[in-house]
Amino acid sequence: MSVAFKPITTENGKGIFHLFPALCKGCGLCIEKCPVDTIGWARQLGAFGTPVVEPGHGKPCIACKKCQLVCPDAAIWIERRNGQGRTDALTAAPQAPGNEK
Amino acid sequence: MAIAAQPQMPRVWRAESKPHKFCPGCGHGIVLKALGEAVDALGIQERTIFGCDIGCSLLSWDFFNLDTIQTHHGRTTPVLVGIKRARPELVVVSYMGDGGAYAIGAQHLVSSASRNDLVTIIVVNNTVYAMTGGQMAPTTLPGQKTETTPYGRDVELTGRPMLGPELVAAIAPPGAYVARGSVANVVQLKNYIQKGLENQIQGRGIAFIEALSSCPTNWRTNAAETWRFLEKEMSAYFPVGELRTPEEKPAARLREVPAHGPKP
Ligand SMILES: Cc1ncc(C[n+]2csc(CCOP(=O)(O)OP(=O)(O)O)c2C)c(N)n1
Ligand code: SF4
Ligand code: SF4
Ligand code: SF4
Ligand SMILES: [Mg+2]
Repeated sequence: MSVAFKPITTENGKGIFHLFPALCKGCGLCIEKCPVDTIGWARQLGAFGTPVVEPGHGKPCIACKKCQLVCPDAAIWIERRNGQGRTDALTAAPQAPGNEK
Repeated sequence: MAIAAQPQMPRVWRAESKPHKFCPGCGHGIVLKALGEAVDALGIQERTIFGCDIGCSLLSWDFFNLDTIQTHHGRTTPVLVGIKRARPELVVVSYMGDGGAYAIGAQHLVSSASRNDLVTIIVVNNTVYAMTGGQMAPTTLPGQKTETTPYGRDVELTGRPMLGPELVAAIAPPGAYVARGSVANVVQLKNYIQKGLENQIQGRGIAFIEALSSCPTNWRTNAAETWRFLEKEMSAYFPVGELRTPEEKPAARLREVPAHGPKP
């Protein structure tokens, strides 16, 4: 990636919550999908001058990645605290045979 | 120094054009994430052509690191079918809204389905003509308030909402892949789109995927109401699931038509 986005990184429960304010449009879809209600509005402002989101408003994060999955703007990356979260696929789909680049 | 964490965008997304042009909470971004993941998983970035329609779908003209073309309502499909016929090794994706696909350009969808064209069509169903301000679309739900149905859609006057995948499933020959997904289930939607791309790569027939999607701007909904409308009201009228798979026995659903046409 030739452009870089600056994260706000917050550790919470089982997750490391990376939020990219330049991408977050403050839609709130992630807040509604979090099963432990930990996501809430933050003080920082995002892409459109609306508040971005942060964890720490409910029970501890369980690193389910639902918020990352539904964010239309890829503004959240949840890293698992054991360090195994570095995956960019929705599912770990293997390369289809015959289609290798 | 360790590299700072970066957004986990699909590799085929064009990071330079992000944040993208869709409104906050728009489902288009989620559908294009599922499409991006499917293209990544199949490793077809170098040979995929992306076509977008008129409507909010055109805001994706610089969304991907893919050769991209933007055409008129519903014409995206025949334009991409033309590209496919000229260059069969390419993988072509026709990305449209419900208004473009089911009303203004519906004839192209019907023709492509009956020809079983090798194209993967994705229709984003947000129940309105979003780009022009939220007028009633063929997919507007009974009783739904829009700019042009301020008292709610009257089905006596304007008919019932159009069922796109059901229509394509009814007319497409064997080999077609037809499904309806939702941005409320991104993993399932990605799997449907990936199967739709594979159907084209394997030369089996048309692939048609409708995605139930959100338009908070024209629905005038907050996040909680957006999810409720999508998951309760839309999903109740438009059932999510696969309607046609290329492996199925065609007899149950379709009359077998001889390859050379009916006997004179
Ligand atoms: C022939 C024609 N009629 C009308 C229009 C105006 N128009 C532009 S976008 C649009 C609505 C598109 O709605 P949809 O396909 O559902 O896409 P969305 O914006 O909802 O994603 C209309 C009617 C047009 N461009 N061309
Ligand atoms: S990963 Fe799951 S639990 Fe953690 S903030 Fe996101 S939605 Fe909530
Ligand atoms: S879903 Fe994404 S863009 Fe919307 S508020 Fe959450 S992080 Fe921000
Ligand atoms: S008007 Fe609706 S469909 Fe168009 S970008 Fe905004 S939210 Fe998305
Ligand atoms: Mg629409």
